[in-house]
Amino acid sequence: MSLIETKGLQKVFRQAVKDPGLAGAVKHLFTQRYRDKYAVEGIDLKIEEGETVAYVGPNGAGKSTTIKMLSGVLVPSGGEIIVDGRVPYKQRMENAQRIGAVFGQRTQLWWDIPVRESLSLLRDIYQVPTDRFKKNLDVFTELLGMDSFLHLSARKLSLGQRMRADLAAALLHDPKIVYLDEPTIGLDVAVKHRIRDFIKEMNRSKGTTMLLTTHDLGDIEDLCERLVIIDQGRIIYDGKLQEVKDEFARERTIHMQLSSPIPDAEELFRGLPEIQVKRSGDSLEASSDTDLSIRFDRFRCTASDIVKRVMSRGEVVDFRIDEPSIEEIIRRVYDGKLDSAALSAAGKGSA
Amino acid sequence: MIAPAFKKYVSLARCSMQNTLAYRLSFILNFLASFIGLIAMYCLWQAIYTGQDQLSGFTWSQMQAYLLVTFFVNSMLSYYSESSITSKIIDGSVMMDLLRPIQFQKARLAETLGSCVLEGLLSCILIGLAAIFTFGISLPHDAGTLLLFAFSIVSSILLKFSIVYLSALLCFWTTSSFGIYWARTSITNLLSGALVPLAFFPGWLQSTAMVLPFQGIVNTPVTIGLGMTAGTDALQLIAIQWVWIVLLWLLGKWMWSRAVRQITIHGG
Repeated sequence: MSLIETKGLQKVFRQAVKDPGLAGAVKHLFTQRYRDKYAVEGIDLKIEEGETVAYVGPNGAGKSTTIKMLSGVLVPSGGEIIVDGRVPYKQRMENAQRIGAVFGQRTQLWWDIPVRESLSLLRDIYQVPTDRFKKNLDVFTELLGMDSFLHLSARKLSLGQRMRADLAAALLHDPKIVYLDEPTIGLDVAVKHRIRDFIKEMNRSKGTTMLLTTHDLGDIEDLCERLVIIDQGRIIYDGKLQEVKDEFARERTIHMQLSSPIPDAEELFRGLPEIQVKRSGDSLEASSDTDLSIRFDRFRCTASDIVKRVMSRGEVVDFRIDEPSIEEIIRRVYDGKLDSAALSAAGKGSA
Repeated sequence: MIAPAFKKYVSLARCSMQNTLAYRLSFILNFLASFIGLIAMYCLWQAIYTGQDQLSGFTWSQMQAYLLVTFFVNSMLSYYSESSITSKIIDGSVMMDLLRPIQFQKARLAETLGSCVLEGLLSCILIGLAAIFTFGISLPHDAGTLLLFAFSIVSSILLKFSIVYLSALLCFWTTSSFGIYWARTSITNLLSGALVPLAFFPGWLQSTAMVLPFQGIVNTPVTIGLGMTAGTDALQLIAIQWVWIVLLWLLGKWMWSRAVRQITIHGG
């Protein structure tokens, strides 16, 4: 049995349908019509203890709804959920005791009392033994650099400080599972790194299972081995991050700077499949003619092959290789440019 | 040693007290505003009592005491506690409460009682000042009545909380709190005897008020405090308070589970 398991999980929201304008609003007072909106439409997910899983998808894909169901805040409309042997919405209190959650858009700190007091209150709410609380607080303060603002009230914190404090608040009682809903939203690079390091450290030292939703692809690459992509309430990919890259990020681009232009560079690669040659800049300007970009499929020919051919004709001053960022891959998925059947086939292959 | 399950609510109460202190200036201003209302009521009743010894069984000095006790009871569980419950519901942060191993109703009661301690202290000071200037208070002299009076005040706070909690939960359906707040306040003020002692009401209204829970908020502690009801009658009034507290608490529990189903099943 996995730590988190859902089967055919569904969530339907009832949306009021109102006709436009004042007349429509008045009409709605007397006859209410509703439309069912599927936020989550049959999700099967298994997460093992100690995993860090990125749960990714466009806005409105159903990420937060899933997390709210897993954390026991929302009651599913259909399907099953078991989290650590419990049904979250039925055993809300028991479940709440064992999980931690950060919702990036909301704070769980008390607005007008010092962070330190908020944390002590959470100690009592989760019944954390005093010595463990002290130890955790010391470690968190150090890792998250909270020393400078523990005495301030939440309303006085900057976003980055607030998020760090929120993270500490969510992990203070050593939960087995932590849900992070956009934990790095709107943060600067330094704070992002700090938060990622903290998440990694908690996962490593305490074996905390993490499920995080994010739009920040750095988060995914840095934290997660496993990627679950959801769109319109359904999982369209579930597998290793590396595999989705191998499958859908096959092309590489080599950018080369030559000592002198090669006029008919295309000729060089005759015989190699799917090669695109691009000269950056206008041919009017002679100097930019020395920059050459070659795009290729890394499974069909190798970088060394290409570089070798160029070097046979001229001198390469400098070069670098670009791989498509995970961002680009996911953007293609969002745009529906990738065949989702192929995607899920790739996912199954890895499972 | 306090049981850990209880300790979480004690901590909540303590934090709520701190929270109230954070708003001390506006808290005190709000308090002074209602104190001014008290002075206005005082002058009004003084004018009414000119040339009268007694009205509906109240002497002028009893009336003065009535005003002060009413002020005390009414200042407990002020707008701050009430709005902290409604705003949780309206801005959706009720979700954060659902994430924690706490029960919403108990947590709100704990917070309310926390700020009531401060509200009680502050109004004691103001009433003390008022008493010095008016010299007209006849508070209970014997320990037994005093004890009953104190107990009925505690019950009154719990009763008021139950009513406030229920009306706050209505926000789940209305998505706005002002209408509910004003409606609840005016009904409570009228039927509890906070505006005019129930004894001044016409018979039918008085008997209506007596079968409703609101009279337990002001009428019960005040009449006990003034010595107008004593002994078994007083105990009976307190028993009625408790019947209402238990009933409304259970009703609140039921309504909460309905409300939560509403948001968690249909979406807010």
